[in-house]
Amino acid sequence: MSDNAVIEEQGREQRMMAIRAAAGSSGTWDWDILADRLYVDGRFAELYGIDASDCLTGLPTNAFFKAIHHEDRARIKIAVAGILGGAELFSKEFRVVTPDGVVLWMHGRGQSSFDADDQPVRFTGLLVDVTDRKRTEERLRIAQSAGGVGTFEHSDGFATMVVSEEFCRVLGLHPATVLPVQTVNGVVLAGELPLIPTQVPEEAGSGLDAEFRIIRAEDGAERWIARRGEIIRDGGGHRLVGVIYDVTKAKELEAQLRDLNDTLEARVEAEVVERHQAQESLRQAQKMEAVGHLTGGIAHDFNNLLTIIIGNIDTVLRRIDTTTDPRIKRSLDNALKGAESAAALTQRLLVFSRQQPLDPRAIDVARLLAGMSDLLTRSITEAISIQMSSAQDLWKIEADPHQLENAILNLAVNARDAMNGNGALTIDAGNILVDGDGPNGLAPGRYVAISVADTGTGMSPETIARAFDPFFTTKEVGKGTGLGLSMVYGFAQQSKGTVEIASRPGEGTTVTLYLPKAVAEAVDVVEAIENQLPMGSASETVLVVEDDDDVRAYTVGILRELGYRVIEAHDGVTGLRLLERQEHGIQLLLTDVIMPGMSGTELADAARRYQPGLKVLFNSGYTRDAIMRDGRLEPGVDLISKPFTFAVLAGKVREMLDR
Amino acid sequence: MIPELIALGELERDALTEIVNIGVSRAASSLRKMVGHEVHLSVPSIEVVSQRRAARLIGERELDGLVAIRQDFSGAFSGRALLIFPEANSLELVRAVTGDTLTAAEVLDMEHEALAETGNVILNSCLATMANMLKRSLTMTIPEVLRGNGATLFEIDDTGKSDGLVLFLYIDFAIRQRDIRGYIAMLMDLPALAILRELLEEFIARVIGDDER
Repeated sequence: MSDNAVIEEQGREQRMMAIRAAAGSSGTWDWDILADRLYVDGRFAELYGIDASDCLTGLPTNAFFKAIHHEDRARIKIAVAGILGGAELFSKEFRVVTPDGVVLWMHGRGQSSFDADDQPVRFTGLLVDVTDRKRTEERLRIAQSAGGVGTFEHSDGFATMVVSEEFCRVLGLHPATVLPVQTVNGVVLAGELPLIPTQVPEEAGSGLDAEFRIIRAEDGAERWIARRGEIIRDGGGHRLVGVIYDVTKAKELEAQLRDLNDTLEARVEAEVVERHQAQESLRQAQKMEAVGHLTGGIAHDFNNLLTIIIGNIDTVLRRIDTTTDPRIKRSLDNALKGAESAAALTQRLLVFSRQQPLDPRAIDVARLLAGMSDLLTRSITEAISIQMSSAQDLWKIEADPHQLENAILNLAVNARDAMNGNGALTIDAGNILVDGDGPNGLAPGRYVAISVADTGTGMSPETIARAFDPFFTTKEVGKGTGLGLSMVYGFAQQSKGTVEIASRPGEGTTVTLYLPKAVAEAVDVVEAIENQLPMGSASETVLVVEDDDDVRAYTVGILRELGYRVIEAHDGVTGLRLLERQEHGIQLLLTDVIMPGMSGTELADAARRYQPGLKVLFNSGYTRDAIMRDGRLEPGVDLISKPFTFAVLAGKVREMLDR
Repeated sequence: MIPELIALGELERDALTEIVNIGVSRAASSLRKMVGHEVHLSVPSIEVVSQRRAARLIGERELDGLVAIRQDFSGAFSGRALLIFPEANSLELVRAVTGDTLTAAEVLDMEHEALAETGNVILNSCLATMANMLKRSLTMTIPEVLRGNGATLFEIDDTGKSDGLVLFLYIDFAIRQRDIRGYIAMLMDLPALAILRELLEEFIARVIGDDER
């Protein structure tokens, strides 16, 4: 070959290289199978870091694998072995590491040529740099698998469509790159629109947004699939290009939300019913309260009248002697009995309306319980066994005995109702020493614990938490006021004690009252005095203030008969004026509580300011009012309920003066 | 699930794909001589699946009836080879192989024979190449033509006892500007597949050399 020819040859080679480079080629090879030599072009040599001079003389064939990434080398060796063994086509993607250490993805495409005996003689091919495409594919693959999004493309008129592996996974089909349209549409639930419509109306928009229900081919599960994409119109036909993804979870959440909305209505309805019941309970309580006020008012007036009736009969009875017609005495006795019955009735009315005064005194709980046994047995008629026990050396407590009885009765009735007519009621009293951490922050000290236990239905923690709330009741409307336990609680707190509930659903309930040990010993003063009429003397002055003239006259009459010096007033202001006029003061103020103008309490306060330490005896049939400080009587203050008899008044006055 | 023992690794699948490619290349060469036209055959990929899955897989891809040419083979490893076409493609194939000189009636007459012959060329080349490349020998029965669907071709019955595995190969034909798709399936039991795997290991070792493994 002449020099010129060589130059011309080199020039042509360079032009060809430029064309191949423009086409994206990164080198060519020519593998001579018979001679076992490899010839490569300049770009191939550059890529592989092969010395340019070796290109013309040829290389050992294993140079072909030298620059291939070690992870891809085995695979490519196998493919080349196929070609050397007689396969026709070579089409592989693999990585090449350049002399600079850069990793490039190459697509190697080659073909073998055969001799007349079908033996391969040459293996020639082309390397194309596909690094950018590989990266894009990688991103697309990750986007699909990470997002659970499968792509598809369907060209108008074709029976098959191009899909991604993720597309097949979403529908539960075996991974493939091409699927019949009919297969894809076959997973859609009967009655739904096809996932890939074969007809697209001309006027249709360019969107493909829709949702489908499918039966996933792999496991038969019903799923929701969303389709998004575009209709691309090019030339005469169109292509549907888009993605699908599973939206079952979102659909389920939507359904749950809808369910929640639906049940919200039901919940609101239940709430309304509950509120209605609460209103009903409140109305019941208010009714009871109103009835209480009414009966209390009536009882008050009645007591005044009964005081006059009883007092006057009493007076007459004391005046008659043996010469009088015995029928007169009998009639008077009957009248007195009737009046006393009426007094007992008004007393019951007052208990019912909870307006009896709180009168704390030292109580022997064991005796009180023993006294209640009859009442309890009568109140709890069903097949419920009642057991009561008290500790031997039980301390005396200081509380209002009537209120305590009421509280125990209340608890016993609650226990009965919790047992549905069958079970055991146990009432227990014992001494307890409370140190630092007593129930409900009870102050440390000595207490008597009275517990009422049942074997009934028990209470949930939620019910216990609300049990003391006023108007809270688990009983039917009309059966309870919902005030029972709250009154017990109020009473216990007033008495400087507390009350505690221990219960679990199905395991019965124990309510324990803690009441403080009395400082003084209990003395049944009244009983002791009632046997003999304790007289007074003229040196003892009693101021009687009473707005009802008849009651005042009766009271004054009794006191004068007993020998006391009595001054009287029809209201508080007059009473105070009289008090100020006394040179040596008075020994006792006996006053009504409810009076026009100045009330009994106000009068007592004013009188005690004028004469400190003055003993005050309130006289009332309606003592709900403020004669008590913290629900208790002050020292030197006492109470006598209307109507009272001669003997009771005599005993009470004497007792107070002797204190 | 495919048991770990006989599951083909990536390299083993590559090796088998290349071996079958050599086989179909030889078949293409034979067909070229028969037809006198360019014939290209290639096998882009291979899968190992259960018989049941193979039936489903082909059912998802082919909705019409199928035509298959079946040949049993025995030797180092035994099994049954199937060359499968969609029924619609089979007359196309016959026409391509026989040239467009025949009338429709003649094509129908020849269909069975032409299919059996074409199938025989392709399956024979594949199996013979496998035997050759893996340095073992195989003998084959004469071809049979079957029609049916995925389930019948893969002998799926309701007893659920079809526990064999299928080497599933996609095959692209390009004859006289016609593109025809088909499948080669090789039904083998577990011991046969285990032997095949061992032979592939040996082949890979030979090709790559010890330094690369």
